[in-house]
Amino acid sequence: MADNNMRFLVVDDFATMRRIVRNLLKELGFTNVEEAEDGQVALTKLKSQRFDFIISDWNMPNMTGIELLRAVRSEPQLKALPFMMITAEAKRENIIEAAMAGASGYIVKPFTAATLEEKMNKIFQTMQK
Amino acid sequence: MPDQMLANGDSPELEALFDSIVHQSQPLDSGADTGALPAHRKQSADDMYAQIGLLTRKLHETLRALGYDRYLEKMISAIPDTRDKLNYIARLTANAADRVLDATDIAQPVQDELGGRAGALSRLWQQMFDGRLSVEDLKRLAGETRCFLLEVPEQTGRTSSQLNEIIMAQDFQDLTGQVIKKMMEMVKEIENDLLDFLVTFSPGGLAPATGLMPRNAPPAAPVAQEEPAPTRREVDDLLASLGF
Repeated sequence: MADNNMRFLVVDDFATMRRIVRNLLKELGFTNVEEAEDGQVALTKLKSQRFDFIISDWNMPNMTGIELLRAVRSEPQLKALPFMMITAEAKRENIIEAAMAGASGYIVKPFTAATLEEKMNKIFQTMQK
Repeated sequence: MPDQMLANGDSPELEALFDSIVHQSQPLDSGADTGALPAHRKQSADDMYAQIGLLTRKLHETLRALGYDRYLEKMISAIPDTRDKLNYIARLTANAADRVLDATDIAQPVQDELGGRAGALSRLWQQMFDGRLSVEDLKRLAGETRCFLLEVPEQTGRTSSQLNEIIMAQDFQDLTGQVIKKMMEMVKEIENDLLDFLVTFSPGGLAPATGLMPRNAPPAAPVAQEEPAPTRREVDDLLASLGF
């Protein structure tokens, strides 16, 4: 369904977590993956290179995931990018905040490749409408 | 998604909540949401910060007047040590994670290849049983199968040693466990001292200063052990100065 050459940006301040997400994406057939360790670095990369999908953690130094999301949604050339928010807590207020800030989807960690695929497909389906 | 709450807390209800908000709101097109708190919430947050700042200043001056500044200095100087301990834990766990991920990166292709080759050979053997293999092909298949069987122990051995590496990488738990235990003891000690302090200076009682004394207070500290507990007037002054 989705193009296997889609360019992903994985944003998380923990190198281990970035590596795990990269491995999961590889399991799902996506090998075109870039990383960023905080929102600020992510935003710089997004503005200078083309990406097709953003997966970002919530709590990060310098610029949080929510702040990055808002920044992306307010940039004309970035605002349509699919953005999945990774959250550590499945709390209603977190979900609400992510939704209102414009997230395309959310996923609660820890998660498996199967869950990631499900959540991603949901976003792809919405995009195709 | 299975129709119950997952171990990480996610659930169909949460998903539905997310979907309902996304489909009704138009985030950011209006430009109204800049990520700041709504005005009235920001105001009370500012007030709270100011209040806490004032109280902290008052507490600080009071503590200094009571001679606690030296005790606190000692506590504060322990904090870089605490920071080191936390960094140590973070480093050990990160290293362990890397070792485990490296081991799986090595072992997974071995597994995949083993499984793949076994599958291919199996299909050819099926052809043989279906009577679709020539004698020549059968001879070759027998030879390839024998080769494969000879190689399997080496491949499984490689996987075994990676599994072993994963086991060994768990040794961080013992080290980090000890460090965490030490930190918990330190935190409990500070907590007890603070509680003693609060009890002593609470409006309810003038309990004798049990546990109030810093354990290594220098002799020159104004609050010496022979002095009587703070007088009612001192407590009043203290409370008044704290804004109570």
